Amino acid sequence: MDQAAVIDHQYVIAAYTVTWVLQLGYLAWLGFKWRAEKRAAERRTRVAR
Amino acid sequence: MRPRTKPELFPAQCAGIESAEMKKAAISLYVVVTIALMVWGFYQAMYVAPSDAMQGEISRIIYYHVPNASVAFVFFAVNLIGSIGFLAARRNNPDRAQLFDAWALSGAEVGLIFCTVVLTTGPLWGRRAWGIWWTWDPRLTTTLVLWLIYVSYLLLRRFAAGTQMQTLAAVLGIFGALDVPIVYMSNRWWRTQHPAPVFGGAPGSGMAASMLHPFLWNMLAWFCWGVLVLGLRYRVERKHQENAAEEAREALESRA
Amino acid sequence: MPRALWTHLVKDLRIELRTLDAFVSMLFFSLLVVVLFSIAFDPHGDFSREIAGGVLSVATMFASVSALNQAWSREIRHQVMDAQRMTPAPGAELYLAKVIANFLFVSVVQIILAPLFLIFYNLHIQGQGWLLALVLPLGTWALVANGVFFAALSIRSRNRELLLSLILFPIFIPALLAMVRATTNILTGESDPILWMKLLLGYDIIFTTVSLLLFDVIFHAE
Repeated sequence: MDQAAVIDHQYVIAAYTVTWVLQLGYLAWLGFKWRAEKRAAERRTRVAR
Repeated sequence: MRPRTKPELFPAQCAGIESAEMKKAAISLYVVVTIALMVWGFYQAMYVAPSDAMQGEISRIIYYHVPNASVAFVFFAVNLIGSIGFLAARRNNPDRAQLFDAWALSGAEVGLIFCTVVLTTGPLWGRRAWGIWWTWDPRLTTTLVLWLIYVSYLLLRRFAAGTQMQTLAAVLGIFGALDVPIVYMSNRWWRTQHPAPVFGGAPGSGMAASMLHPFLWNMLAWFCWGVLVLGLRYRVERKHQENAAEEAREALESRA
Repeated sequence: MPRALWTHLVKDLRIELRTLDAFVSMLFFSLLVVVLFSIAFDPHGDFSREIAGGVLSVATMFASVSALNQAWSREIRHQVMDAQRMTPAPGAELYLAKVIANFLFVSVVQIILAPLFLIFYNLHIQGQGWLLALVLPLGTWALVANGVFFAALSIRSRNRELLLSLILFPIFIPALLAMVRATTNILTGESDPILWMKLLLGYDIIFTTVSLLLFDVIFHAE
């Protein structure tokens, strides 16, 4: 029975890991996108000047 | 020389600066509170809540799987509202229509992330609880279908040409949202392998108090997190819209 | 029947009946799919009844998509969108006419295919066979109503034909499920198909209504 509990725990950890990889991965992607937009805006104002 | 930004001399500008700073402070506070809630929720889920009598450890799924599912559905509803709002506003109030479109896209994309979490954590639980990764029962199937629909929504936004893209996407968003009630009802209409609804289901459902509090904390925490991510996505999209509009304006002006 | 609707319908039927291009390719494609599935899944006895519903539905789906990809090609070639914009007739009538026309074509294909199907799969229908005459049209309508709408939606996109399938299939899945379950229940006689038929009917009503309401929005999107 103890072995089962250990494996259960591993599954829970795996689930939380997957959850946070997805969530934080998305935030990271969003960060890159923000940077790209900022750079595009800066390029434009530089060109305009 | 007295500094030019004395409040009595330029009240409007100072009020603007102050409110922008206040806004930043409020957002920072919100982020801190959200992170605190997430940590608290995790603590509640893993250490305070008891194991289920029958399922054991893996029953803790309700502290992340269910909240993520709820947030996903709510955000798909945000997409619906954004889509409808865009269609309603695009003729008379194009600026407001852009706002709606940004919300629509954000709702779809962030909702999709949360839906992906649901579809990956669910099988991890199912494998342990029932011995199977997947089954084609109505609830799982329709959640997968929902995921597919919003992927197709994002693909339409990528493939469709130029200015009509937002209109087409808004229409598809409405179509996609029609699936959401089917998902919700499916758990009640058909006998299913997915656990019967815990709240408001048949007698014998409902959650033990010792589990209810951690559950509610986690619901709150995940919703706060979801709203944070949604807000960030919205902000990025608005920036993108600004850039696109500026580029279009410059292209027109340089030709003239 | 509203005049514009009738005019569009008669026009589409007439043009198609002249060459029967789309119809023949649809028919042949469905036949191919049926044969391919038979080779892939080797139907025999009870097993054939279990999968027949699925095979028929998927065959209909693939065959319809090949027709739906061409659904608006004439309109695109001859600038009908602009002409439509100038008329007072609502675009919804053009849409409905196209749906009815395509529905008739696919249904005829199904009627021709059904006896072949019974033969290839040696089907002895255990349940109430006449219900199939309700289930199949309901399922076909679901496919065609949405298909024509999304075909119009993807007219000006790159990857137009691929996009049609990508958008249509996920939204069609609930109807596909209902169609397959209902058909299988009728063929095997194991359980009551009525619930699935009600779902299919509800689906048809909801999506046809929404399509009619929103057709002008997408047809004239700028």
